[in-house]
Amino acid sequence: MKTVPRTILMSVLLLALPRFARAQEMKLPADLESLSAKAKETVDVSMEGPMLRWAAKFLSQEDPDERKAAQLITNLKGIYVRSFEFDHEGGYTSAEVEELRAQFRPPLWTRVVGVRSQHDGDNVDVFFKLEDDQMSGIVIISAEKKELTFVNLVGPIDIDQLADLGGEFGIPKLNAKTLPKSAIKSVAKAEKGDQK
Amino acid sequence: MTKEEDTRNEITQLEEALHRTFRRQEAPPDFAEHVFAQVAEQNSLRHAAGDPWWKALSIPVIRWAAITATAASLVIGGIHYRNVPRERARGKAAKQQLMLALRIAGSKLQLAKARVNEINSPQNTNPRKNEEVKD
Repeated sequence: MKTVPRTILMSVLLLALPRFARAQEMKLPADLESLSAKAKETVDVSMEGPMLRWAAKFLSQEDPDERKAAQLITNLKGIYVRSFEFDHEGGYTSAEVEELRAQFRPPLWTRVVGVRSQHDGDNVDVFFKLEDDQMSGIVIISAEKKELTFVNLVGPIDIDQLADLGGEFGIPKLNAKTLPKSAIKSVAKAEKGDQK
Repeated sequence: MTKEEDTRNEITQLEEALHRTFRRQEAPPDFAEHVFAQVAEQNSLRHAAGDPWWKALSIPVIRWAAITATAASLVIGGIHYRNVPRERARGKAAKQQLMLALRIAGSKLQLAKARVNEINSPQNTNPRKNEEVKD
C-alpha cells in the first residue's frame, strides 16, 4: 500500500519536470545573480506563457512597435532578460560570462554569432536552439565594458522582427513615455554612450 | 290559383318559418358550467398577462430574494469597478516590461549584426584588428 502514494508522487514529479526544466533553461551562475548589488541599474524580466498572453492583451494595435511585439510573442513560451549596468569597468569577471556561455553547447544549441572585440570590449554571442530544423529558442549574451546582458527567448521567433524592435545598429529604440522609471536612466545613458 | 291565394300562401310560409325560428329550445344540461368555465379561463389569462411584475414582490420569499440579489450585484459590481483600474495598471506595467525585454533583446541582436557587418564589410579599413567573428 505504501507504494501507491510513492508512485503518485513520482508521477507528479515526472510530469512537472519538463515544465520546471523549461523554466530553468537559462541558469544564471550564483555569483552573477549577486551582480545586481554591484550594478547601477538592473533589468530583470521573467515572463512565461500565461503572463505573456496577459501582457499581450494590453498591446495596442495602433502602435507599430506594439503591433510587431504582439506578432512576435504569439508562439513564445517565455522571455527572460537580465541586464546589469555598472558605473565602472570590471563589474563582472570573464569567468562568470564563460560559465554562462558554457551552458549553450551543441547538439541542442548552435552558436551563430560570436564577436570578440578587444578594441571596445563588446563581446556578443548569439545561440539558436533548433528542434526539427525549426528555431525554438534564442539566447543572446552581450558582455560590454560596463554592461552585461543575458536574453533568453523560449519558443519560435522571427529574429528579423525582433531586431527591428531594437532600433538601429544597437541603439535601443526606447521611448521614455513607455518605460518604467528605473529603465529610463539606463536607456538615456546607453544612448549617450553609443553616440560617443 | 288566383293572385290572392298566392299571397296568402306566401304569408303562411313566412309565418311558419318565423314560428320555427323563434320556437323555445331547451339549453343543453352542461351549458351553464361551460359558460362559467370559459369566463374563468379568460379571467385568468387576462390576470397573467396584465399583472405588473412588481406585484410578485408582495410575496415575502420573492421580495427577500430580490433584495439579496440586488445587494449581491451591487457588492460584486463595486468590487469589480474598484479592481478595473488596478488590473489596468498591472497590465500596463506587464506590457512595459514585455516591451522593455523585447527592445533590449532586439538592440543586442542589432549590436551583434552591426559588429558582424562592420567586420565583414569590404570597405572596412580594419581599425579593430583584434576583433574576431565566429559564425
